[in-house]
Amino acid sequence: MKTAKLTVLLLAAGLVGTTAAQSYKGPKVALTYLHGFTGADRPVMEKLIAQFNATHPNIQVKAQAQPWGTTWQQLPSLVASGRAPDVVVINEDQITNFIARGAVSPLTDAELKASGISKARFYGPLFKTADYEGKSYGVPISSVAYVMFYNKELMKKAGVTKVPTTRAEFLAAAQACTTDKSGKKAGQAGFDPKNLDTWGVSLYNNWVGARMAYAAILQNGGSLVDKQLNANFNSPQAVEAVQFLVDLVQKHGVARPNSTEEAELAAFSQGKVCFFPSGQWYLDRFEQQKMDFGVAFVPRIGSKQDAAWGGSSHLTLPKQRAGYDANKRLAALEFVNWMTQPAQNLSWTEAGSLPVMPAVARDKKFEGRPISGVFAKLSGIYATSGFPWGGQVLGPFDNAWANAYSGKMSVKQALDGGVSEANKQIEQARKTFQ
Amino acid sequence: MSLSVPRPAAPRARGRQSLVPYLYLLPFMLLFLVFVVYPVGYGFFVSLHRWDLLAETRPFVGLEYYRNLFDASTPQSQFFWNAMKNTAFFTVVSVPLLVATALGLALLLYRPIAGRAFFRAVFFLPGVLTVSVMGILWRWMFDNQIGLVNAVRTDLLGLQPVPYLSSEGLAWIPVIVGTLWWTIGFNMTLYLAALGNISQSLYEAAEIDGATAWPKFRFITWPLLGPVTLFVFVTTVLASFQLFGQTLVITSGGPNRTTQSAIQYITEEAFSNNQFSSASAMAFMFGLAMLIFTFLQFRIMARDARGES
Repeated sequence: MKTAKLTVLLLAAGLVGTTAAQSYKGPKVALTYLHGFTGADRPVMEKLIAQFNATHPNIQVKAQAQPWGTTWQQLPSLVASGRAPDVVVINEDQITNFIARGAVSPLTDAELKASGISKARFYGPLFKTADYEGKSYGVPISSVAYVMFYNKELMKKAGVTKVPTTRAEFLAAAQACTTDKSGKKAGQAGFDPKNLDTWGVSLYNNWVGARMAYAAILQNGGSLVDKQLNANFNSPQAVEAVQFLVDLVQKHGVARPNSTEEAELAAFSQGKVCFFPSGQWYLDRFEQQKMDFGVAFVPRIGSKQDAAWGGSSHLTLPKQRAGYDANKRLAALEFVNWMTQPAQNLSWTEAGSLPVMPAVARDKKFEGRPISGVFAKLSGIYATSGFPWGGQVLGPFDNAWANAYSGKMSVKQALDGGVSEANKQIEQARKTFQ
Repeated sequence: MSLSVPRPAAPRARGRQSLVPYLYLLPFMLLFLVFVVYPVGYGFFVSLHRWDLLAETRPFVGLEYYRNLFDASTPQSQFFWNAMKNTAFFTVVSVPLLVATALGLALLLYRPIAGRAFFRAVFFLPGVLTVSVMGILWRWMFDNQIGLVNAVRTDLLGLQPVPYLSSEGLAWIPVIVGTLWWTIGFNMTLYLAALGNISQSLYEAAEIDGATAWPKFRFITWPLLGPVTLFVFVTTVLASFQLFGQTLVITSGGPNRTTQSAIQYITEEAFSNNQFSSASAMAFMFGLAMLIFTFLQFRIMARDARGES
């Protein structure tokens, strides 16, 4: 069956009797490639493209780098007018929306196989980020994740010898790290949780802070949306998980109330807080500061599984007009495959990305580097993806976290409110996504 | 050349004469049609359909998205009017401050005091910053934990810190103070220019009559500044209605959407929620509100002009 499809494809491409599935042998084609790697990652991407062009004389990739937001605004009209680029990079927070609206074409099993792209090469949840209704739409090229930075010096001072991995260890370590301005420990008489000198963990009120709640909910077996893709981040598991985080502030006094990301970042840099959960993108900053720090996977606060939030970028093939050159699609798949080979992915990690596949995470290059502390659990990273109404779910979720963390509402109230708001918006969005 | 031809000319020449102004207007007309009339019309079309560029069908739904804005059970109505209320609140609070402070600074810096040029520059310079730089600066200043404002409260005054950025109501303070600092120089410069146009002889005459500082301001400066005050007032109100960047960067519209501006919510509905028809309908409602306001402004201006002549 699969061979039959493959033969059809190859015939359509004008290939006769070829068996080398991994390299495009058709006539010379030029591909347009749109991506949003416009910062320090741009030169790395450009180097890779130049390398691809040099080794593939019959495929010429012309890349265009532009801010992500511009691409999200342009892509629908480019697709609608039949002028879509051959390859586009789409991020995890946008991809399901574009899939549901029909902007991206599915990658069939036969195509993936013929071009040598094996799902098994990648971290499972990462590859599934671009799946929708049982089909695959993209191949992961880049990944960032929520991790837990820890300050070794302060931990030593507090007598914490092991990086916590469970809820109990995490709470105990956080308590050990917490001292108020008069030198009292949490739990001692007269302890003042509003005037902390050093403390256990950084919690804060923006969307990045809300990703800690996301991790805790997933770890507890909860989720953002149910099977019908309606918001359900107020399930008992979710409430329990978020309650634990809020208790760190309100009950245990090991995190600062009403803090901001900037304040916690500064506090961690100054050695005031033991654990700073945040995006792995702060790695550079701490390395340059020559801090004595480590990076660990987010401890397992929930009872079911290891989990953390991750963001990712996926190589996709947009929907093209009828009569699109089949050679171009084959060449595009070749490009996607080449770009996501271990060697290329290893080069790409220079740009600040995490490895997207175990083969790269095992590379010697990472030995002894702080970031390798999370590599063992990279398969536990989950994007906020899989539902076409990202804004409608994540906006209310982030707001609910802020309300619960600040103590403005009880955890249950805050999450219920968020879910009800999200579902009202989803109900309206459904009409446009039919 | 035909422009200077006197009136009693041949009818043929008059025909050519009346064509010329339209030819001059043509380039602007074309740009106006392409970049204003067409997009506005297209936006209205979008607001009447369940519209997505990629959808195969874009059914006509009439005024559904407008009705949603008046149906209290929809999130659109709840958040849109909340954002409109926030925008109105910002305008009502910030405009008097922006006008009065600018006038006060202009009166101080119009006098020949030492370092006058330096102070003028100090107040004008923040205006050259982009909104993102200004926003980050004021977010840091008012940070709940590390902000300079809270450092002064705790370290110098011995008070408790205040979580400005995450308290409903208080979150407006950094936004308004930041906007004042950021835009005051422009209004101040307009006032300085207007003060320069008031003839000194009026003040000399008043002094001969024994007028002191207050009567001189009340009966000479203030009335003669009338036209520029009106101009400053109208432009500041319009700018305040367009509130977007400051709240986006300083508070992200929070806590709980209490500082979310109308344009910010329209942007969210369009580009975060991908509800373009709904966002277009809101934009038209917002535009209508601005139109009504501008109409009232013109009425006042016309009356003012009549009063002066």
